[in-house]
Amino acid sequence: MRLKSVLTLMTLTTFLFTAACGTESATTGSGTSTGSGTAGGEVTYKIATDASYAPMEYMDKDKITGFDIDFLAEVMKEAGLKYEVVNVGWDTMLESVKQGKEYQAGISSVSITDERKQTYDYSIPYFESTNMILVKEGSTVKSADDLKGKKVAVQGATTADTIMSGILGKESTDLKRFESNALALMELESGGVEAVVADIAIVREYIKNNPGKKFQSVRDDKNFQAEYYGILYPKGSELKAKLDPAVKKVLENGKFAEVYKKWFGEEPNVKKLLEAAAK
Amino acid sequence: MDFRYDIILGYAPLLGKGVLLTIGLSLLSILIGSLFGLVIGFGRMSGQWLLRVPAKAYIHFFRGTPLYVQILIVHFGAVPLVIGKTNPIVAAIAALSLNCAAYTAEIYRAGIQSIDRGQFEAAYSSGMTKAQTMRHIILPQAVRRMLPAFGNEFVVLIKDSSLVAIIAAPELMYWSNAMRGQYYRVWEPYLAAAFIYLILTYTLSKILARVEARMGARVK
Repeated sequence: MRLKSVLTLMTLTTFLFTAACGTESATTGSGTSTGSGTAGGEVTYKIATDASYAPMEYMDKDKITGFDIDFLAEVMKEAGLKYEVVNVGWDTMLESVKQGKEYQAGISSVSITDERKQTYDYSIPYFESTNMILVKEGSTVKSADDLKGKKVAVQGATTADTIMSGILGKESTDLKRFESNALALMELESGGVEAVVADIAIVREYIKNNPGKKFQSVRDDKNFQAEYYGILYPKGSELKAKLDPAVKKVLENGKFAEVYKKWFGEEPNVKKLLEAAAK
Repeated sequence: MDFRYDIILGYAPLLGKGVLLTIGLSLLSILIGSLFGLVIGFGRMSGQWLLRVPAKAYIHFFRGTPLYVQILIVHFGAVPLVIGKTNPIVAAIAALSLNCAAYTAEIYRAGIQSIDRGQFEAAYSSGMTKAQTMRHIILPQAVRRMLPAFGNEFVVLIKDSSLVAIIAAPELMYWSNAMRGQYYRVWEPYLAAAFIYLILTYTLSKILARVEARMGARVK
């Protein structure tokens, strides 16, 4: 009898608490939406992101913001679809977009690679990125080849990791792989490595936020090839068919350039993107 | 070192929200965990192998694997299996409670087994049933001995709750990570989080010290 009432109490409190928290997390977790409220009957697409990659997508307090988010807004406006972006973290995004039940797409600076194409569908490319080297001011490093024999930090399982593994050797102890770019940058600050290799947008944002630290960026177009970001869909996605024309339109009609200039202060190379899309 | 208080100030409302969830998650997990732990603990001490063996296996599993892994298994495996989709809050409470139960089960066992056998025998010979003996003789003494261990487990659980940030449950650590993600700075978010956790655990140990003192005084 005793045990039974205890168990009832347990299930009851769990239920109440989770119910209360469930609604709470929905409001804190999901920042942006189309704004106009949900009309009855219309589908609201749920799009997952990992908002920890400033300035591409990040939390500005409790609001999801960034280049990708603004770009997505233009695409959804063009397509005339209702949507909601939810910050679920990287791993959850990859897993739940693959299943395609709760989230119909993901946007999070996801590079288009042949391996991932076996598991996901991608939109046409919407962003050209490349890796960049971050070193102390006055460093003699001019290219990735100059990093041989020096200690270098990267975020593990990224393209920076792959490229630097190739240059320094996969087993090299000079290459330190961290869970995030922020940790890799911390390692550079504290003198554990001489350089960090990361996406161009990350490196620039870091320099912008830490002007007193005296770091400089180094471009290397020979070793670091162009990479393209795409919106991530589950295999056989219907949404891809609806959005691809909208992505193309936004690239062509100047809206993309507007968003790009807002975040990066320069003109994008739209022609190159459209060429990549045609391939 | 330039320390930007303005960043922390900007995030203060969210850190506050995060703290509330951290406290909520911890308290609920402590409650569920210690109640469930009681069941497991008695199962573990049971004379019947059908109760004892599963309880033992449970304790071994949850004490023998990292909480980090448990959180991921519950989040990506167990929760979607039960409610059809992922939910970081449910997963956080479930994982923390299940983990807590394994540790508290052992605390119950240690507390009860620390009472001299003679006490049981004396109670039985004065005509008490097994349940009465537990309730009136053994538990009041055992609980007093369990208290410091419980206190320790609760403090550990508050700190460990920071791990659920990996499944994006919006608690304190989650918002610290968001701060880090926005500014690519590490001192401000991590020191702020460390300071807040310290306040939480310090307050809890003060409360527990009072409870211990009171329980100690009353039994004497």
